[in-house]
Amino acid sequence: MRPLDWVVLCGTLAFIVSYGLYKGRGSNTMKKYLLAGKTMPWYAMALSIMATQASAVTFISTTGQAYVDGMRFVQFYFGLPVAMVILSATAVPLFHRANVYTAYEYLEKRFDAKTRALASLVFLIQRGLAVGISLYAPAIVLSVIFGWPDRLTTLVMGALVTIYTVTGGIKAVTWTDVQQMLIILFGLLVAFVLIIRLLPAGVSFTDAVYLAGAVGKLNAVDLKFDWNNRYNLWSGLIGGGFLALSYFGCDQSQVQRYLTGKSIAQSKLSLLFTAMAKIPMQFFILFVGAMVFVFFLFERPPLLFQSVAMEELQSAGARTQYAPIHARFEQAFEQRKTAALDLAEARRADDHAKRAASLERFRQAQQEINGARAEGTDLFQHMHGEKNFNDTNYIFLSFVTRYLPAGVVGLLIAVIFAAAMSSSSGEVNSLATVTVIDVYRRHIHPNATDHHYLWVSRLATAFWAGYAVFFAQYAKKLGSLIEAVNLLGSLFYGSLLGVFVLAFWFRRVSGTGAFLGMLAGEAAIFWAYWFTGISFLWYNVIGCVVVIATGLVVSWFRPSPPKLAPA
Amino acid sequence: MPDEPPPFLGTWPRVYTVVLVYLAALIALFYAFTRYFS
Repeated sequence: MRPLDWVVLCGTLAFIVSYGLYKGRGSNTMKKYLLAGKTMPWYAMALSIMATQASAVTFISTTGQAYVDGMRFVQFYFGLPVAMVILSATAVPLFHRANVYTAYEYLEKRFDAKTRALASLVFLIQRGLAVGISLYAPAIVLSVIFGWPDRLTTLVMGALVTIYTVTGGIKAVTWTDVQQMLIILFGLLVAFVLIIRLLPAGVSFTDAVYLAGAVGKLNAVDLKFDWNNRYNLWSGLIGGGFLALSYFGCDQSQVQRYLTGKSIAQSKLSLLFTAMAKIPMQFFILFVGAMVFVFFLFERPPLLFQSVAMEELQSAGARTQYAPIHARFEQAFEQRKTAALDLAEARRADDHAKRAASLERFRQAQQEINGARAEGTDLFQHMHGEKNFNDTNYIFLSFVTRYLPAGVVGLLIAVIFAAAMSSSSGEVNSLATVTVIDVYRRHIHPNATDHHYLWVSRLATAFWAGYAVFFAQYAKKLGSLIEAVNLLGSLFYGSLLGVFVLAFWFRRVSGTGAFLGMLAGEAAIFWAYWFTGISFLWYNVIGCVVVIATGLVVSWFRPSPPKLAPA
Repeated sequence: MPDEPPPFLGTWPRVYTVVLVYLAALIALFYAFTRYFS
């Protein structure tokens, strides 16, 4: 980081915090603090929804994923617009009319207290375990790239989030999310333009796209159905759709964004705008990663992008085993570079024979490079006894720090901070809301004044922000448990979705039916997780179906009239 | 709280239809993109 980068980074962060403090003024009642007094316009909610969903890891690893695996990850989002339409037609008007602070409060109005308690408990466990990771994961990447102490980075990010989230509540969170999302989009656009400008003189943008496609990096759609393939059209539409329904319809960190809308129409518009903007945005981020791949066709990349791993491979202890891998990689890189230039030239000259020959050489060289990278990874894993080493998260930032000019590096590091802060502020804010509304006000102190609840909300926000930082400080000791924590969301979302589907669409279902349905749904998801190889995207479908079936069967034997009319 | 009509297209079902048609068009476009460049 050069002085100009520090100026841009610190300036951007200072602007975000000051803007949050400014926009969060006047949050002096519980309704203003937790729901922004229901005054938010659709565009602010939409950008806040997108910013909360896009964590720093999403941003860092999505570009790397396109470099390694191509663009097929975009299919993960294909179900999102369908989910947004369903939620706009059902959940949004129901939540607004029920005049609730949390999605789980609605469950008591519709069913009973035990169903609400179980759903809020599931949310607090799941989101509580994930909240520190939003801060920790980017900090660990920055520590490898720049050598910054990861504990200090999480502390700085956590402190900045705490300042505006505790003082300004959801209004500050939403408006800073808007700024953060705009900074993220601007940063990505600048990075994209610079990547294209950094391509060699004879290689045009069209050549770059052609070369990326020639080795399968532009594989955006796969029509083949496969239960165990995480990313294809069908898993994206069905599995991704159920996941989006669960996340945007049942997770308070998202529901709270659109509960702040000044009207039902404004909340609906925010979801529908997200539905239309999210896929092109993810496509663009992946495309940036594919262009980074093309850049490294002409500029020698490291064998592995994680610098600490590379230092260890080059150390005296591993030199003998590393030397042949290095030689294979170097030779393959030169062959791939020559083949790529020949292929681009043949495409421009429309020379079919030369094109076929150079395409063959290009693909073979790419396979050699993949093989050398796999050998390097295996050697590092063998040296470390580590099973899941992956350098995907380091690819984009390695490119940024080595090749982009002063100022732009600072801007893109600010993008990572912004993404981490926008996700964690939304999580902290929603955890505090569920703690106050579904636990404190419901079970501990039901009849206090508004002023009392406002201060408890501030204290709960400060507690969860402190907890997030504390959890992030010790996340390194969790090791591979972090992956389990990331998986946790998909272990609970299916049953949460099922109980809301029962609430919205099944008039005859009783509170006991919904409660037992949730427990059965959880049992089914854990069974699928432990005893089958089914991809995690399908857990939401399984959990949801089991909750509905159990809820209907139990309610058939033990019926009770609904307390609140479903949709 | 009353459900207001959308600011464009007159009714909400029409807006939902536009979003779903847009999704279908995006998928078709991405599929053509995949086929063309592979």
